[in-house]
Amino acid sequence: MPWLYLHFRHLLLDHIARAHTTTAPLAVLCQGSRQVLQACSRARQLGVGPGTAFKTALNLAPDLVVMQADDDLQSRILEQQAHWLYHCLDRITLYPPDGLLADAGSVRRLYGGLQPLRKRLQKTLDERRLTATLATGPTPLAARLLARAGTDCFTENPDEMTTRLGALPLSATELEEPVLRRLNRLGLSTLAEVQQLPAAELARRLAPETLSHIQRIYGQRPDPQTCWQPPSDFRQRADFGLPVEKAEGLLFALQRNLTELENELRWRQQDTDSLLLILHHYRKQPSRLQIRTTGPEHRADAFLDLLRIRLEQHPLEAPVEALELRVTRFLDRHTTITTDLLNDQPDTGEAWHTLISRLQARLGEQALKHLAPAADHRPEHAWQSHRLTSRRQAEPSDQLPLRPLWLLPHPAPLTVAPEEWLKGPERISGGWWDGQRVLRDYYIARLPGDQLAWVYRDTHQGWFIHGWFG
Amino acid sequence: MSDLLNTLLHDTRLWRGHRQMAVTQTPEPTGFASLDRELGGAGWPRGALSECLLDRPGIGELQLVLPLLQRLTARQKYVFWVSLPFIPYAPALARADIDLSQLVQIDTESRSDLLWTLENCLRSPATGLVLAWPEKLAARDIRRLQLAAEAGQSICILFRDRQQASQSSPAALRLELTPDSQLGLQVNVLKRRGGWPGQSCRLDLAARAGQDTTVIQGPWSRPSGN
Repeated sequence: MPWLYLHFRHLLLDHIARAHTTTAPLAVLCQGSRQVLQACSRARQLGVGPGTAFKTALNLAPDLVVMQADDDLQSRILEQQAHWLYHCLDRITLYPPDGLLADAGSVRRLYGGLQPLRKRLQKTLDERRLTATLATGPTPLAARLLARAGTDCFTENPDEMTTRLGALPLSATELEEPVLRRLNRLGLSTLAEVQQLPAAELARRLAPETLSHIQRIYGQRPDPQTCWQPPSDFRQRADFGLPVEKAEGLLFALQRNLTELENELRWRQQDTDSLLLILHHYRKQPSRLQIRTTGPEHRADAFLDLLRIRLEQHPLEAPVEALELRVTRFLDRHTTITTDLLNDQPDTGEAWHTLISRLQARLGEQALKHLAPAADHRPEHAWQSHRLTSRRQAEPSDQLPLRPLWLLPHPAPLTVAPEEWLKGPERISGGWWDGQRVLRDYYIARLPGDQLAWVYRDTHQGWFIHGWFG
Repeated sequence: MSDLLNTLLHDTRLWRGHRQMAVTQTPEPTGFASLDRELGGAGWPRGALSECLLDRPGIGELQLVLPLLQRLTARQKYVFWVSLPFIPYAPALARADIDLSQLVQIDTESRSDLLWTLENCLRSPATGLVLAWPEKLAARDIRRLQLAAEAGQSICILFRDRQQASQSSPAALRLELTPDSQLGLQVNVLKRRGGWPGQSCRLDLAARAGQDTTVIQGPWSRPSGN
């Protein structure tokens, strides 16, 4: 039964503070008007408080980091909080822009009472440097009102909850302003006094909506909640308030987001092999960085290492206002299969994946290749290179002709007469089927300088070097 | 005995190195008996750089490392080919019994990328062998690579121009390669750790041109050098 409501008093402020290492004063401005809406404790020390004009605030604290209040953004940040809350609680409902409701009754036995749950939640909030007021109530609306009023009500005793609820001043009940004024004129000041009035009279004198609101607070009228379902992908956002110009400035916020990702992956018992980092710029297209690891990975350090290399290679296009981390691909975890139980060689599979991920992050995926023979008679088509990710097993062929170890990417004209002819000719003719016709006689010859070369003569009597017997 | 020598001998800071530390590393033989003998059984040094200095390609420089490649790939160790002058020809490597799935070719664009790549490859325990064809390396860079190779206990062979032979290098083994007209390869040991340099031997690599040398003379024209 008891519902739990988390009221985030200054979610935006906490959100920006999380992305910064420094303790610069922070403030959130009202949408539209140039007034401070919320200010952090440091800013308040400097004299910036809610209601201060923006210009005054800047004079009081020149290094003030400001952020426009934005309900859309705050709703997204709120959903981010629902992600971690989902690890602890069941049946979560979002109350944008600043509240989360959850069913505390269903997990009471899991935690062994409400107090251990409170301790756990408080610890998680502290880890994330968030401030929230927690309150329980007999109904969803009651929990919300108690939390928003800042009442210290965290109990499963229904009587205590009702007493606390009854003591709430009417101004904290979210009734409309004209209704509040009328009730005040009637001499009523607390919720309990209004609740004691006969229902029919209340509906007749005030409005049916007022009655239904009061009844929903006390649970005399159903108040169904739509539960939030966590999305299948992972999204985390960090806003900076002040644009970040250097890549190093992103790393701190990235580390926090990657730690969240690590927790999420640990909780899901899954791994991932690709991350998408989106950097939002001011009035510019956001830049997207795709990071891939060669193997399944879940450690924040490994991701951070790859991102650091990537950011070193690609300087920021423009100052970054916000960053967003997205993961859509999840892989199930498997135990590594060791082929030999008594193998005393250390397992290098993980080292291999780390190395290749690092190399690919810096050089690009196309820079690393595997080589394989291909079934073709033409020397330039008798080999192929493929990416490391596609693990192809080359079919063993025992009937391979004698070939040089080095092949020239483009045949070079033979400009000197060979000193000695060793073998030949080997006539290679083919390619009539795809237009790249080849008709050549190949020889092995020793050139002046004692280089052993693979030379050929084409149909136009031209002589070319095609390879070296290195 | 001169006074100078006497004072030096009584100086505690001086160490009289008459006994060298035994090489504890398991040697990685080159696969050529005569060369192994000249190298005192040490073969390719593990956890250190080796340099092959040569003038031109096509003198049998890859034949020199083929036995090592065969052995390491059979042991499922990874071999990196970095910054190549030509294409390593897969059919020829497959013919030489080399497991191609253990070879990785890496193209680098700039010198800093090359050094970074080499250093990372060398430090990784997954690496067995790194073959590299760097264009120019400063002694400082080679020193860094040497430290990386020590950390990773892997073998690194650099193929460099023979003009570098006169310059000093921190590499543990330096071989000078010169071909002769019988398709052999003359290997001069310019430097080796834990022993005196100056040995040389000749490797017969004529087999790379095939077993029987038959040329069918035709009525066609031969290049005469223009």
